[in-house]
Amino acid sequence: MTLTQDAPVRTDAITVEGVSRSFGSVKAVEDATLTVPRGHVTALIGPNGCGKTTLMLMLSGLLRPDAGEIAIAGHDPRTDAAAVRAEIGWMPDQLGSWDNLTCLQTLTLMGEAYRIPRATARARGMALLHRVHLEEFADRPARVLSRGQKQRLSLARALVHDPAVLLLDEPANGLDPRSRVELRDLVREFAAEGRAVLVSSHVLAELDEMVDDAVFMSKGRTMGEHAAAMVADARLKYRVDALDPAALQEALSRGGVEFEPTATGAITRIADEANAAQALAWLIRQGVQVHRFGPAGSALEQTYMAMNEERR
Amino acid sequence: MTTDTLHEHPAGADVPVDPPARKGNPWLPSFHGVGLMTRIELRRRRPSTKGYVLYGILFAIVIAICLAAAIFTPPQLSSTNFEIVLIMVLGVGMLIAPSLSATSINGDSGEGVLAPLQMSHLTAGDIAMGKLLASWTVSVFALVALSPFLIYTFLSSGWTVVEMLTTIGAILLVVLAFTAVGLAWSSIAARAVASVALAHLTTGFFLIGTLIAFGVSTLLFTEEATQRDRYIDWETLAPEAEEALNEAYMTGDFSALDPDDYQCVESEWAYTIAHTEHVAWILLTNPAVMITETAPIVDPETWEEDGRAAPGLFANIHSMVSDARLGPDDELDDYIAYDECAQLFQEAEASEMSEEELEAMWAEDENRWIERQQELANLERAPWLGLSVAGVLLVGSMWIVIRRLRVPYKKLRTGTRVA
Ligand SMILES: Nc1ncnc2c1ncn2[C@@H]1O[C@H](COP(=O)(O)OP(=O)(O)O)[C@@H](O)[C@H]1O
Ligand SMILES: [Mg+2]
Repeated sequence: MTLTQDAPVRTDAITVEGVSRSFGSVKAVEDATLTVPRGHVTALIGPNGCGKTTLMLMLSGLLRPDAGEIAIAGHDPRTDAAAVRAEIGWMPDQLGSWDNLTCLQTLTLMGEAYRIPRATARARGMALLHRVHLEEFADRPARVLSRGQKQRLSLARALVHDPAVLLLDEPANGLDPRSRVELRDLVREFAAEGRAVLVSSHVLAELDEMVDDAVFMSKGRTMGEHAAAMVADARLKYRVDALDPAALQEALSRGGVEFEPTATGAITRIADEANAAQALAWLIRQGVQVHRFGPAGSALEQTYMAMNEERR
Repeated sequence: MTTDTLHEHPAGADVPVDPPARKGNPWLPSFHGVGLMTRIELRRRRPSTKGYVLYGILFAIVIAICLAAAIFTPPQLSSTNFEIVLIMVLGVGMLIAPSLSATSINGDSGEGVLAPLQMSHLTAGDIAMGKLLASWTVSVFALVALSPFLIYTFLSSGWTVVEMLTTIGAILLVVLAFTAVGLAWSSIAARAVASVALAHLTTGFFLIGTLIAFGVSTLLFTEEATQRDRYIDWETLAPEAEEALNEAYMTGDFSALDPDDYQCVESEWAYTIAHTEHVAWILLTNPAVMITETAPIVDPETWEEDGRAAPGLFANIHSMVSDARLGPDDELDDYIAYDECAQLFQEAEASEMSEEELEAMWAEDENRWIERQQELANLERAPWLGLSVAGVLLVGSMWIVIRRLRVPYKKLRTGTRVA
């Protein structure tokens, strides 16, 4: 299964249509619809308990949906669960490791569980440990790892069989800032290798630079078009701060620019970077003393907050 | 070997892998999968220091008992010491292996290491069988650890090698079956405490509960028999007649008594005969009984010529079980009616002359008893029911385990998450 060479024409690695699942009376996922193309990173964003993990379990072929259609690289988990599981690299949100075994042993045995010959599995295990910067822990038992290190071991474990689809359930939890940046780069690399990546998280600032798409979830439902529009809109927003906010706002009104006034300046919508450069030049020409000019922060975070859904 | 491959692929470079494609949702175990799962389990469940101390204490006790059994082996053949060592092997196996398996699935699921394995190419059958074999292997270790005692006591037991291997095979099968039961409980119960308790309760039910069930159900198959006794009515006795009777009892000379002075009364009383032959099968389901039923038959009369040791523990249990299987022996158990009046008066002459006859009668009685003992000891061994019970427990438990391990899950163990 070499991703780059014989990737099928089909581009959507994950398609989900109207999926639901309840546990007794708890409706964990009510109506989820999303697609993730190959080579794309999609974020799954939502408050605690909105059903992200449950949705990922259904995608990975561990949990049977009550209703709806799922296809992973063209396989249906209801009829072909083993094929689905073979395609998927799953990093669970629950950190589990074999405490007695070393990191390299863990990855080797896991590779063997995917029917990779032992020597190859061991070599790949070592390569993966390098990739997640755990090489110095190769021969130490997993119980000595810190939370963030276990998280990275778990990521390496998801990759032993070179999966076409990666499901990362809150991978940034417990990572220090440096590791988060590394994680972001790794996730982009995975996508560049042609894998489809679905990342769930509520650490939104990191996601912004990591993902191509975002799917918002609330109370078991994916938000679809509405949320996508909100993200697109949020991406347009620029924050402009001037030494004299009143003068800035007056100049904008005079120029017929729509804006939301803030205490230190204004928030306005600008289509792209060329437009932004022009807008800034225009403001300076108007004599506005701009001291800050840039995107208005994380688009995902703004959308998340704007969705204004209460936590469960 | 491995260093070579590591050199081929410099640090950080991608190592291409090519796992085989999969179809459907297989669940059958395979050699590769079961072997790998067993290896994983044995490595990761290596006991901690505390665990080693515990095992150490357990083994010290067991070895002390075995040592005593070995030291007190008498110079002549004796099988009981060997049988005690066999019981130790069974005991250690039944104590440890189900305890381990009973935490194996819900423990793993709680630690979050079960789901990643279920995601891999290991099938539900691989995981189930691997876990079963890994827990069971501990009882094999116990067997190996106790083998010096086993061999030493075996040498003077009068058993043949084949007989020893048969019984050890039966022990290992019983341990395997109850290990599977433990595994089944751990796939059903969410909490380890519950599954361990349930596993030991099941073991206890089959080891002790069947004995109690046998005892209780015997009561359902009792026969009321009545017995009529005659004796002299002391209430109505004239004082001088009573004195004469006492005198006669002291001297043993009843000829002076006048039958007319004594009134005879009859009394009827009921007693019960337990027809254990109807419920003996309950005993045969007991795994410990099954194991003793695989032991060689020892004839209580001819064991010396047969090159056997005197009937030991297992042979005696076999006789007891056989007694239950055959039920009451009419000829032996028949009560002989007691008739005081007849003894005193009618057959006074008869009893005098029967000195030799009496002896002959006793000898006959004794012969009949010996015959019965021989019949009991030689009754065909009946381990089959117990073996089937073990087989059904084994297969049924593994069926439950595999069903519960198959993904995608429809229902989860109540109160648990997948991950
Ligand atoms: N095995 C389960 N049994 C009962 N309720 C569950 C189970 N798994 C999840 N839930 C419930 O379903 C909802 C969604 O859970 P989850 O998917 O874990 O949320 P998230 O990962 O988005 O935080 C929660 O309300 C949770 O309590
Ligand atoms: Mg979650």
